[in-house]
Amino acid sequence: MKSEPAKSSPLSSATLHILLALAGGNLHGYGIIKEVTRNSDGHYRLGPGTLYDNLKKLMDAGLVADAATASSSKRKPVSSKEDDRRFYTLTKDGKNALAAEVDRLQSVVREAKLRLQEARTGKA
Amino acid sequence: MNRAFARFAYRLLLSLHPASFQDEFGTEMLWIFDEEYSQGGAAYMFLDGVISLLRQCSRLEKDRGQLSIASGEIITGPGIGPVRLLQAGVTLSLILFSLNQLGSHPSPFTLSVRWSDRVPCYTITLRAPSHAEVVLESTP
Repeated sequence: MKSEPAKSSPLSSATLHILLALAGGNLHGYGIIKEVTRNSDGHYRLGPGTLYDNLKKLMDAGLVADAATASSSKRKPVSSKEDDRRFYTLTKDGKNALAAEVDRLQSVVREAKLRLQEARTGKA
Repeated sequence: MNRAFARFAYRLLLSLHPASFQDEFGTEMLWIFDEEYSQGGAAYMFLDGVISLLRQCSRLEKDRGQLSIASGEIITGPGIGPVRLLQAGVTLSLILFSLNQLGSHPSPFTLSVRWSDRVPCYTITLRAPSHAEVVLESTP
């Protein structure tokens, strides 16, 4: 049975970065690591242990799936070396979870800006 | 450091992970290790591997109802046998050695042993670059 993620619970940094990386397209494990490093300008480095630990949780929650089994339109490997690599894809629930998290972060930023503005006007 | 030795130490670390996790992701993790090693970034993967091992083991023990987690401490119960503890000790020694060989940074591990009723109690403290701290402590 798939565990339903709590709608309001924030995602961890690793989870958010993995979902963001997969939002750009299906990737294998090393591809996700590279994409996360690129997206964060090298500030966030994901190790294989952290990656697969989180991928397992995301797959159990139904947010990420094996691309080979999830879709018939399988991504073509870039090189022959990637032929036997397992690709991961974002599911519909995964996209929804990512969108919800982005909304949550937006509201946090909005609130933070408002408070900073209040603090500035209070001091002035 | 010798690439073959680093690979051996990492494989040993992977072998300590639960079998289901190894079967599902072990090959891919080793592939990533090889790729990263060739680019000179292998040191952080040992620390990442140890943290992953602790997470997997804690999840496994939690499932068995033998683990209690309180205030960031993972306290192992009598469910972890001496062979497993020895295996973990050997692996950690290899990792410590590997880390010392790989970089000039001080080791992120501290290991202390105290005796309680003639039973050794090990405390291993890991300090991650993000200032997270994991303490693994065995209790008699």
